Amino acid sequence: MFEIGRLCVKIAGRDAGLKCLVIEVIDSNYVLIDGQTRRRKCNIKHLEPLDKVLKVKKGLAHDEVLKELKKEGIEVKKIVKRKKKAKSEETKTEERPEVKKETKKQEKPEIKKEIPKEKPAAKPKKAVKKAEAKPKKTAVKKSSAKKAKAKKTGKAKKSSTKTKTKAKTTKK
Amino acid sequence: MPAGRYKSRSLRRVYTKLPGSKVVVHHKKRKPSKATCAVCGAALKGVPRERPYKMQNMAKTKKRPSRPYGGFLCSKCMRAKLKEKISKPGKNV
Repeated sequence: MFEIGRLCVKIAGRDAGLKCLVIEVIDSNYVLIDGQTRRRKCNIKHLEPLDKVLKVKKGLAHDEVLKELKKEGIEVKKIVKRKKKAKSEETKTEERPEVKKETKKQEKPEIKKEIPKEKPAAKPKKAVKKAEAKPKKTAVKKSSAKKAKAKKTGKAKKSSTKTKTKAKTTKK
Repeated sequence: MPAGRYKSRSLRRVYTKLPGSKVVVHHKKRKPSKATCAVCGAALKGVPRERPYKMQNMAKTKKRPSRPYGGFLCSKCMRAKLKEKISKPGKNV
């Protein structure tokens, strides 16, 4: 029933209600179809045969299938639309990377310009920092000096304690 | 004790687990009935059973199967209808 060249209507899935041609018999259950539907393997249970059988070679190319269907008065609108969509998508995809490249190119020199601007601005900052840092350092020095004094005193105390302990040990 | 308006069974009870592993009863409005086939009355598959405010936010592809008569007829009835159309072209089936 489902020989090569049989016109069918698909009755299951998202391609249901669309006409197709049997291109190849894969199995007792499966068949390769093409036409208004997508080109795909299909279960025989998902097909409803029509009266016509076209004289067609096994494994016909998609374009030739479309020609054969046109002779029968079956126009494949969807696939034409898909091609247009694909073209538009291609153009879009072509445009998008160009735009991206441009933006990137624009961004990069901007960044470069900004960096030299920042550098001279940074120099006075450093000077300011140094100016700020100087008193800090002095403060640190003072604090360090205090600490040192404290350390010295602590050391002295420790040394005194040590001496005391030593003295104790000596006494013992 | 629950508040008086939660005692009636017109609201459905949803048990939700809180982050502290405490189980709490939430009262929500009941879901609408299942979508059915217009010919045989069987429950349709692939059609969500939610209140309109949730259906509003769903994508169209999530609300029905993407085939002719999807969300209106079941797949069996759809096949039968297509077969009838093929056998009797021109007639409005």
